[in-house]
Amino acid sequence: MKEYLRKLFFYRELLLNLTVKEVKVKYKNSFIGFLWSMVNPVMMLAVYYVAFGIIFKLRALGMTRYEFYLLSGILPWNFFSLSLMQSVSSVVNNADLVKKVYFPREVLPLSYIGAASFHFLLQELVLVVFLLIFRLSLSPWIFAMPLLLLLQLVFTAGLSLYLSALNVFFRDIQHFTEIALLAWFWITPVVYPISFIQESFPAWAERIYMLNPMAHIVLLWQRITYNSPANGPQAAYFSVEGFVYAVVLSVFLLISGYYLFCRLEGRFAEFI
Amino acid sequence: MTVAREIGARLVSDVPALELRGVGKCFRLYRDINRSLKEKVVNWRKRGYELFWALQDVDLTVYKGETISVIGPNGSGKSTMLRLMTGIMKPNRGSIATHGTIAALLDLGAGFHPDLTGRENIYLNASILGIRKKDLEPIFQDIIDFSDLGPFIDNQVKNYSAGMYVRLGFSIAINVNPDILLVDEVLAVGDESFQAKCLDRISRLQESGKTIVLVTHNADLAEAVSDRVLWLERGRVKMLGDPQEVVDAYHEAMSTRPEGTEFGNRDIVIESVQLLDGEGRPSEVFRTGEPLVLRLRYTARKPVEDPVFGFGFYDRLGLMVFGTNTRLREVDIPRVEGSGVVEFVIPSLSMLDGRYYVSVAAHTRDGQVNYHWLDKKYCFDVTSPGRDSGYLTMECEIRVSSGG
Repeated sequence: MKEYLRKLFFYRELLLNLTVKEVKVKYKNSFIGFLWSMVNPVMMLAVYYVAFGIIFKLRALGMTRYEFYLLSGILPWNFFSLSLMQSVSSVVNNADLVKKVYFPREVLPLSYIGAASFHFLLQELVLVVFLLIFRLSLSPWIFAMPLLLLLQLVFTAGLSLYLSALNVFFRDIQHFTEIALLAWFWITPVVYPISFIQESFPAWAERIYMLNPMAHIVLLWQRITYNSPANGPQAAYFSVEGFVYAVVLSVFLLISGYYLFCRLEGRFAEFI
Repeated sequence: MTVAREIGARLVSDVPALELRGVGKCFRLYRDINRSLKEKVVNWRKRGYELFWALQDVDLTVYKGETISVIGPNGSGKSTMLRLMTGIMKPNRGSIATHGTIAALLDLGAGFHPDLTGRENIYLNASILGIRKKDLEPIFQDIIDFSDLGPFIDNQVKNYSAGMYVRLGFSIAINVNPDILLVDEVLAVGDESFQAKCLDRISRLQESGKTIVLVTHNADLAEAVSDRVLWLERGRVKMLGDPQEVVDAYHEAMSTRPEGTEFGNRDIVIESVQLLDGEGRPSEVFRTGEPLVLRLRYTARKPVEDPVFGFGFYDRLGLMVFGTNTRLREVDIPRVEGSGVVEFVIPSLSMLDGRYYVSVAAHTRDGQVNYHWLDKKYCFDVTSPGRDSGYLTMECEIRVSSGG
């Protein structure tokens, strides 16, 4: 394990270069380039405003500025889902490279996560700017953003290492992940507020619901980016146990995922 | 076992760069690949594969500064061995120790991204090979110069021709200056001048004390550039040692008999071909400088006007070493009918050591119609007294004088 980490450290520039490559390639040949990453959330905001503010009139239900609530949860979710989808098939999609050159293979899934983080940070920046423009109060928790980003990165990386390694041997994984993410989205409080679960379901169901680490991570994002008390008393939900749970689980996933990845790595080249 | 010996101007040390100890690599050959989870579950008890040992019991120590070539027929495990050395695959048995940085030229341009420019790809590719940016900066211009891409370096790689692609890949790999360079058959690509440049660069790397492992089908190339040659056969070491000895034995095994072809309309049939020595005895082994008589017997079933008889000697690569015919030598044969004999008498063979293949033919004067062509159906070996090197012997007088 130590040996593997040493190698990964030696290849840190490769990780950076692959990440930069992903970022560059994504908007290569497009006129405004990476600005698309920023246009994206602006458009989302506009669409949500029209859809939920004007057409569905959610404001009547006591949700003010629902479009900001939605955006503050959906950006980290999209970041998670994009990272996972791309990294799951990363080893398989780079078969040529894996068969021909030696380098620590974990840089492949990690580089996709890295590239997705870049876009995510731009989008969060847009969100914060728009919060300021619309004079929505920022919470001091906003400075915890790097920590929260780190937590999500650890969780995503851990899961990606598991899935991308196993996907070499069972290609079903990448198809399954796609469907699983769809269901996962709806058991995570992105679209609806957490109070909805707390009010409509018995306590035991809520406990099961809260086993989902992404629920805690998304709640934290909402807490630090947009938690207007006008969204109901539960909007500012923060559970210490939940946070600790998410941290412990993420670290465990990362360590065990990395261990599994390194164990299987040697057989990638002959299996792909 | 220390192998400190002098080769030309180079000194090969006895410090190991690569050590393979009892290395074995086994692949699973799946009868019907169970790649999906369902099949795996359904067939979980069945072992759906057979074991195939691509390499077995390979012991090899490559010393620092040494060039070793690995030869062998297809499927003998050459490329597997190289992949084990790089760490792309792990051996199932034995161990591999490497001392120093390794760069492998397994596939040129692996990892190029078509949408990036040549320049951007250099950064990316170098880091895939494990080169840090600070180590890349000083050689960056060398890479661009060596690749001969000129202004195209700032074009997207997807617009490159295959040759440009390969040139850039080779240029990166060869300039990154690893301690150990592993080369797999890549010299077969590129045009002649680029190949010559590559060989030149390899000999410069040899001079600067780099360790090189070269995998090739071309045994003669192996003989020319290596200090030692390893011959793999079905995953095992068949022979390891002096390039000439190994390559000769390899050729002997690979080409016990030439595989010739024949064609033509058979208006004239070449019934037999004999290679005779100075005493007129049939022989298959000749010495440089001795006579050789090529005697062919023909039968013409009907009268044929103005035929031409000829022959050619070819080397192992199929290149014609020498050939002539009755037209070129202005020997007119107005008409043949029935049987006859044509003899080509060579008073002194010029070729040096090697195996040579013989083609003989009878055709029309303009060469448009072949009566009978026996292509490389015969062969003979030449041994030389060892006074010269290269392909041919020549008269050479040496004058030595001292002073101005």
